[in-house]
Amino acid sequence: MDPKLERILLRVQKPARYTGGEYNEIIKDKAEVDTRFAFCFPDTYEIGMSNLGLRILYGVINEMKGVWCERCFAPWGDMEDELRKANLPLYALESGDPLSEFDMVGFSLGYEMAYTNVLNMLDLGGIPLHSDQRGEDDPIVVAGGTCAYNGEPLADFIDLFILGEGEEVNCELIELYRQVKREGGNRLAFLERAAQIQGIYVPAFYDVTYNADGTIHTITPTHGAPPLVTKRIVRDMDKSYYPTHTIVPSTEIVHDRVMLEVFRGCIRGCRFCQAGYCYRPVRPKSVKTLVEQGIESCKDSGYQEVTLSSLSSSDYRGLEAVCDGLLDYCEPRNINLNLPSLRADGFSMSLMQRLQRSRKSSITFAPEAGTQRLRDAINKNVTEEDLLKSCQTVFEGGCSAVKLYFMLGLPTETDEDVLGIADLAQKVYWTWRNHAASRARGVRITISTSFFVPKPFTPFQWEEQISMEEYQRRVDLLRGAIHNKSIQYNWHETDTSYIEAVLARGDRRLGRALEEVWRTGGKMDSWSDYFSFQRWMDAFAATGTDPDFYARRERTRCEVLPWSMIDVGVRPDYLWQEREQAYKSVITPDCRVKCMGCGAAKLIPGGVCDEDRR
Amino acid sequence: MAMHKNRLLFTKSGRACYISHLDLMATFQRAFLRSGVEIWQTEGFNRHVFVSIALPLSLGYSSDCEILEFNLESPFSFDEVVERLNRALPEGIHVRECYEAKIPCKKIVDLDWTVTLEYDDGVPTAAPAALRELLGRESCVIQKKSKKAKKGYTELDIIPMVKSWSLEEQPDKLIFSARLAAQNPGLNPALIIDTLAAETPAAKPDFVRCHRNEVYGEGGVVFR
Ligand code: SF4
Ligand code: SF4
Repeated sequence: MDPKLERILLRVQKPARYTGGEYNEIIKDKAEVDTRFAFCFPDTYEIGMSNLGLRILYGVINEMKGVWCERCFAPWGDMEDELRKANLPLYALESGDPLSEFDMVGFSLGYEMAYTNVLNMLDLGGIPLHSDQRGEDDPIVVAGGTCAYNGEPLADFIDLFILGEGEEVNCELIELYRQVKREGGNRLAFLERAAQIQGIYVPAFYDVTYNADGTIHTITPTHGAPPLVTKRIVRDMDKSYYPTHTIVPSTEIVHDRVMLEVFRGCIRGCRFCQAGYCYRPVRPKSVKTLVEQGIESCKDSGYQEVTLSSLSSSDYRGLEAVCDGLLDYCEPRNINLNLPSLRADGFSMSLMQRLQRSRKSSITFAPEAGTQRLRDAINKNVTEEDLLKSCQTVFEGGCSAVKLYFMLGLPTETDEDVLGIADLAQKVYWTWRNHAASRARGVRITISTSFFVPKPFTPFQWEEQISMEEYQRRVDLLRGAIHNKSIQYNWHETDTSYIEAVLARGDRRLGRALEEVWRTGGKMDSWSDYFSFQRWMDAFAATGTDPDFYARRERTRCEVLPWSMIDVGVRPDYLWQEREQAYKSVITPDCRVKCMGCGAAKLIPGGVCDEDRR
Repeated sequence: MAMHKNRLLFTKSGRACYISHLDLMATFQRAFLRSGVEIWQTEGFNRHVFVSIALPLSLGYSSDCEILEFNLESPFSFDEVVERLNRALPEGIHVRECYEAKIPCKKIVDLDWTVTLEYDDGVPTAAPAALRELLGRESCVIQKKSKKAKKGYTELDIIPMVKSWSLEEQPDKLIFSARLAAQNPGLNPALIIDTLAAETPAAKPDFVRCHRNEVYGEGGVVFR
């Protein structure tokens, strides 16, 4: 270990975040490695190591001979200060080598508020911030993850974006890199050829022109790049890599447990949900694969908890069989099995009760909206009856705390919908009064509201976000309607959601503002310890950026959206049609009930999504 | 609680020095589970495999002689336990021995330490002299931070807790070897260096490394 680093480590909090050396960490002999990849997660170690995607890509890339994938996380402020003071660059945990020494540096973009960390990590790692400042010796900077579908605010800083699931495309990209290097090709040659791979978007190869009103006039591909970049998906989940043999951190992380993915994608089309549309179509794993992988992972890690982590795990057809298979192994070994994202229906409830050997004291539901009309408008297929029945089941089972998640500011929302939230909570309370196993302990019903952020690739991508004042008014309205001491109301702050709304549908002109935020000290913006609304507003002002243009403006159907060169499978006209259905409060059946022909089927060979219909 | 049947003697070095005491216990719990060596689990609501580590080591220190207690419930030989665990442990944690516990850990009396004081610009002449003078005193009462004490600190005479010591001078470091009281109360070598630095600022090292060499029981006998 670097002696300078040794001294620093004892002065910072939680030094084990910065050392590596965990069980199953992969160390390769540099003499046998020709290409080095640094997987960068723009948040803390504890959050990054809890990300299944990181573990999958780490494993996949390290399976390649001659390629070494290492990890790097954003340092907390104390560590950053020490690194800068000691003049030490940000380094990858495995080798301790600075990011600037890698061939490729890849960021995982899960949420917009991590963007400032991307800039900060590049800077700390000794890599020129702007793509066009990087020379032949600098790493190729790539980025993937949900936010990469509209990575335009980062277009100045990222050499190429990887759209969709990275398992295959990452390896193809690295192979291409090695080939170009062998042939003596330069950076530009590599990027030009990379742009030909399906799922690779090289922002510098697209010229964007603007209209007088600030909207985009045209997006023109150059350097032979395709006019439309289609995302990549893994077709056969059973054959895809799963990290049964994965790093076990030596310090506590957010999810210290085995994470099993029952499927990719989601059959439901909740109209606000970016993941629901971007990860279409749904691709399940077989029960057999899941049980095997679950058992293998427990053995290899020593974890005593398994969690089924997919978008809507209760929609998985073989859920009971998977649980049975896993329980046979887990129960005698005191390993807990968890189902975090449950729907409020009878099947899920009975399953949950079977899994919970120790009764859960609290349960969470996400009806998202307070009235049936609005739930229909957003296509959230939960009825009041289902919800209350589920509550009844858990109350009868002795549970005494229910958490309910809602959004405020959804398109078409009226005061009646807002007040409906209070009503629904009150009904949950009456359900408890009538069905509680014991009323002695009382009940805690917690309502949380978040501030709706319209996201690209959803039917609400054309919507304006309501103003922060209006959100606050609705919060106050709801607060005033709650008179029951057993019902507690928490609401999210508006500031972050507004900035998120600016970035989510931002274009590449936002790069200047982003850089200004970073230059004036912005980082770790998803942490309230660091986030400063004023800093963002000042940066917008300093760069002549109007944030309302991005957050608070309704787009017309014919506007060229900043992400219109990206194809996630679902067609824009389908999204528009869904938007119209939303305004009529008409629900759309899920993919299993009926295929609505959204477009995502073209990504599957044979052109049919659902396994049963094939 | 009754004494636990079995013990591991293990080393902690390199990057593993930054694993905290609590995290190290979790690391061992998982290592036991993945090694296939079954050990006693706690009863009740939240069952988990039970391990206990004697005399927590401060963050950043290295050691050749850490002791972990548990109750073996597998038919494996001690050698096999050692081998299986070493395959399941992260870099820097290495089990030297597995054996039956005979004397309870509360009988541990002393610890042997090697403390390296590093001086980037060479050892200042004042430093070895000041350290020798300090350790040669009859008594040296210091204030030790304490959360329990009303005043926020307790008073401690460190001299009786230093059982024996020696000092080796090198151009850019001092190597201070000492046998120090292990518990009730124990003396963390950092306290001696902090006292030295507070009294003689010129003797303040740029970096201090602390390494535990050996554990001793009553009568100066190596403790296992
Ligand atoms: S159920 Fe709805 S909110 Fe959940 S992942 Fe699927 S589409 Fe999104
Ligand atoms: S093509 Fe049909 S089944 Fe496939 S994701 Fe779209 S709506 Fe669902």
